[in-house]
Amino acid sequence: MTALRFEGVDKTFVRPDGTEEPVLRGFSLSIAPGELVAVVGPSGIGKSTLLHLAAGVETPDRGRVVGLGPKARIGMVFQQPRLFDWLNASDNIALAVNAADGDLRRVKSALEAVGLTQHAQSYPLSLSGGQRQRVALARAFAIAPSVVLLDEPFSALDELTARKLRVLLQDLWSDHAPTGILVTHNTLEAALLADRIVVLAGKPAQIVRIIDVRAQRPRLPDAPELFDLHRDILATLEAGHG
Amino acid sequence: MSVWTESAAIKAARPAAQRLRPLRALAGRVLPGLLFCALLAGAWQYMAWSWNSPLVPRLDAIGDELARIVASGEAALQIGVTLGRIVAGVLLAFVIAFAIAFASVRNRFARAFFEPALLLGLTIPGLVWALLCVIWFGLSWKTSVVAIGLRVAPALAINIVQGLEAVDPLLIEAAHVFRLKNGQRLRHLWLPAILPFLLAGVRLGFSLAWKVVVLVEVFGLSTGVGYELNSAFISQNVAGVLAWTVAFSVIVAAIEYGAFQAAERRLTRWKRRASV
Repeated sequence: MTALRFEGVDKTFVRPDGTEEPVLRGFSLSIAPGELVAVVGPSGIGKSTLLHLAAGVETPDRGRVVGLGPKARIGMVFQQPRLFDWLNASDNIALAVNAADGDLRRVKSALEAVGLTQHAQSYPLSLSGGQRQRVALARAFAIAPSVVLLDEPFSALDELTARKLRVLLQDLWSDHAPTGILVTHNTLEAALLADRIVVLAGKPAQIVRIIDVRAQRPRLPDAPELFDLHRDILATLEAGHG
Repeated sequence: MSVWTESAAIKAARPAAQRLRPLRALAGRVLPGLLFCALLAGAWQYMAWSWNSPLVPRLDAIGDELARIVASGEAALQIGVTLGRIVAGVLLAFVIAFAIAFASVRNRFARAFFEPALLLGLTIPGLVWALLCVIWFGLSWKTSVVAIGLRVAPALAINIVQGLEAVDPLLIEAAHVFRLKNGQRLRHLWLPAILPFLLAGVRLGFSLAWKVVVLVEVFGLSTGVGYELNSAFISQNVAGVLAWTVAFSVIVAAIEYGAFQAAERRLTRWKRRASV
């Protein structure tokens, strides 16, 4: 059974000088319901393009993305929180919930889940970077999403905050169990959070390896097996890099 | 003991200092402007005293004239008429400007099509629109409203275009991903994002509209502040000209400080909540 599937997807971007840059060619990947797949690979290889295709921000030149109709609920967490600065934390979440199904009871529970009940009325500019990203996580999960897309969600945070939020994300995932894609440069983060890790290399991007992460959940950030996996992925990336 | 006394004094002083903070902020905003007005009045009085001519009346003569037009109700009536025309004209300008701005941002052809019109509109003096509208519409409310609309719309449209183009594309993408409806996008994304440009546009619109409406009232209407200014000018009543100018300026200042700045503070309060 598949919740989200890329079927032979081609995507080419046209640079300002008119030259074409093929990013994906015949890309195929199936993701099972409730599965979190991490995509790792060098910068500019097309990882974020996969998320944009899944979110409907971009359309494939050829092939298709199956499983996400126009009414599918997609929660997305970006590298920057992308909150509306003129809305407080609660209203930022409520806006997304209103667009989804209007069940505003989930706003409060989402804020509770990320530990920001006291900051419900705070505006984003008065929150720390970590708190803003918590609001972004709450917004993504408050809409009761069928799919959650994570685009390097913790890369702009200090490591200490990022570690806390990775644990929080694990908890949210076990509570909501959506299907998801995590794009990250951090191979340890991929090992900690994902059920499978897809390693991309080349231009246009090809899947060079898929790794099943068999470690038990909940996982601890310092578990030795995760470090072994992290070294394994790094070795694959280095080999793919040439 | 001395430590306890100092600590209590600090604690007692703190609420008082906090209570005074808004007053200090208000004084900081208002006092410099009042100082300017006082210096201007002093300089005028000195000039009137040294020239001793009816062409430069003293402050008391201007004050008497001001008191007369206020007491008779003329000031309220004529300023109300002029303000009504300004509001209607600026509203018309907003409608035109929004249509042009949205079309220009969404469509490259529309942008190229309207560009010369906007440049032309910015270049044409208000006097030309005032004269043309008096000729076209005569003694009608349309004269001032259309003249203001045509004079103000180009500047307003450029402001709105800049505002629309300044909206963060990452937020637009987030709105798309979270499937925000068109009404939600307008209310929670586009309008708040272009609000600073809109507020600047309203201020600019009112300042331009005031200049145009006075010209229209001088040339072709029998009511309004411009008409009264012209009447005072024809009878060489310099104190009357100044009294009407002062009366209208006070109302404009009240609108600026009481309405525009208050609205701006309220609508952009989220900016002041930044942590320190």
